[in-house]
Amino acid sequence: MGEAFVQGLLLVLQWKPFAFMLLGIGIGFWVGLLPGIGGATTLALMLPFIYNMQPVEAFAFLLGMHSVVATTGDVTSILFGVPGEATTAAIILDGHAMAKKGEAGRALGAALASSLVGALIGAAALALAIPIVRPLVLTFGSPELFMLAIVGLAFIASLSAQGARGMVRGFLAGGLGLFLAMVGQDPQAGVARFTLDTLYLWQGLDLVPVLVGLFAIPEIIDLVVRGTSIAGNAPAGRISQGALEGVKDVFRNFWLTIRCSLIGTFIGITPGLGGAVAQWMAYGHATQSARTPEERKGFGQGDVRGVIGPGAACNSKEGGALIPTIAFGVPGSTSMAILLGGFFLLGLVPGPDMLTKHLPVTFSMVWTIVLANIITVAACFLLLNRLTALTRVQGHLLVPVILVLVFIGSYTSNTSYADIVVTIVFGAVGYFMVVAGWPRSPLVLGLVLGKIAENYLYISVARYDAAWLGRPVVVALLIVAIGVILFPIFQAWRARQRHA
Amino acid sequence: MHSRTSLALAIAIMALSAWGTFSALEWPWKAKLFPLVIGIPLFCLALAEALWVIFGKHDGAAAADFKLTQEQPPEVARRRTLLAAAWTLGFFAMIVLLGFQIAVPLLVFLYLKLQGKEGWLFTIIFTAAVWACFYGLFDLLLHLHFPEGWLFSGFGAS
Repeated sequence: MGEAFVQGLLLVLQWKPFAFMLLGIGIGFWVGLLPGIGGATTLALMLPFIYNMQPVEAFAFLLGMHSVVATTGDVTSILFGVPGEATTAAIILDGHAMAKKGEAGRALGAALASSLVGALIGAAALALAIPIVRPLVLTFGSPELFMLAIVGLAFIASLSAQGARGMVRGFLAGGLGLFLAMVGQDPQAGVARFTLDTLYLWQGLDLVPVLVGLFAIPEIIDLVVRGTSIAGNAPAGRISQGALEGVKDVFRNFWLTIRCSLIGTFIGITPGLGGAVAQWMAYGHATQSARTPEERKGFGQGDVRGVIGPGAACNSKEGGALIPTIAFGVPGSTSMAILLGGFFLLGLVPGPDMLTKHLPVTFSMVWTIVLANIITVAACFLLLNRLTALTRVQGHLLVPVILVLVFIGSYTSNTSYADIVVTIVFGAVGYFMVVAGWPRSPLVLGLVLGKIAENYLYISVARYDAAWLGRPVVVALLIVAIGVILFPIFQAWRARQRHA
Repeated sequence: MHSRTSLALAIAIMALSAWGTFSALEWPWKAKLFPLVIGIPLFCLALAEALWVIFGKHDGAAAADFKLTQEQPPEVARRRTLLAAAWTLGFFAMIVLLGFQIAVPLLVFLYLKLQGKEGWLFTIIFTAAVWACFYGLFDLLLHLHFPEGWLFSGFGAS
């Protein structure tokens, strides 16, 4: 284990993986700053470029990019009150309020330092979880893995929207994803399913064009609709002053930083939650740290603890989210679902192999998260005063560049115009889902898990008949899935009773 | 708009799952097991959503997802949405007819000039920069093959 840990570091420090990590950090740095395009979208856009990479290089590139998006997203959120990422919205409440009070530097210093602490704790959780998770994973058979896929889908479907109505929509999106995963030649009997008599669909729907369309097109449309520069006319000023004070704030509130990092890690591990939930839960916990009602009133008005909490949780969740993705093939978030697609593109199967045969690769992911965050935070501190200019890029300059990236990314997955048609169709689906208030992450999860779930279901039924349903872990996971579905309904019922 | 779109999506999923379920009935059990396990509940859920939209009082379900901007008046937002769709489809048409090599700089140039109302010099420099990045990264570095447009290859003959 110790040998694999060191080997993981040495793998990342080789010149090629390290160069790809730096490239990924560079892209993630920009993506985080610009609200026009999200971290998950960029991850999807970058997938086609990993085909010819070695696994270590590919994960250094993808994780290097993804693990810094939330860090630089905080910068835009604090300076302009515009969330750089969906996962950096909570930090606006106190961070932007501090910026308006002339304490932007302090807020940024606190956000960056807490992000770094959070990322390190998340990476440590991932490293520590591997020896615990490994024996557990090795005891899991096809029935248990099928049920895990169902639990993951239940989590993301029930928690990605509010109330019973939202849950129905979440399950509809997840079910649609599972349905779309069936397109193509069936692996057991060789039947061509839902191929519309086209050769292109015999291989099934390629993940990259679907993801690129689903996430990038709605954001492009929104950028055109807004028709302004991203940051508007907000004043910038010098922001490096006070950054050191913000760093000191993190150490003054060190246990709060640790607790919020642990909240983020736990939410990351739980399939179906994710950064958007982690930040708000951490913010809620930070407000609970106020000792008096007067102190609590300060939150939302520029309390530095309201910056530290979400900042730490947002980055610690990445390490946590990798645990179920690597160990069980159950992605904890949309980004992890896309990353899971990267595993398959590279010919890696998440599960026991990642914890035995490919353990150094797994540890290289831990080191990538650590190194990428250290480099990014250092770069942010060096560039604090210049960063504001980047958020003032006009929308009309971004749109054609993003469109080019979207279409090339999609086309290169199979070098077929049909890929672009798929992107446009799923762009429309994604747009209408956003308009209708339907969550898109369950669809992605369903699409990613569909083939695995079908395979595990078929093996379970063929090998155990109906007896697989009586296996203890399957029953336990079934209870968890039912609990996950019923809990929000119970919560809504209890809220109604209280109001009545 | 919100409810109508939701109803349209629900009806589309009902049609899709019904078609999938009926198609699956003719396949061997190995191939139809999963489509039936997924198709039937999916139809029921879509029906529930459709009925909810038709008979429900209010929506009350906000997705934990990206939200479209509400800053613009609805008619402006609608017009710009159609414009964005037109640029997207237009770019696809340009790629098919002219090929990526010409379509990429043409899109950037036209978008900056028509949509961004940028000056000639800036438009030309920006277009050249994007084209240089495209050519340098995808052609010289990654050696990706981009075919000629249909206009130059006899309408898909090559």
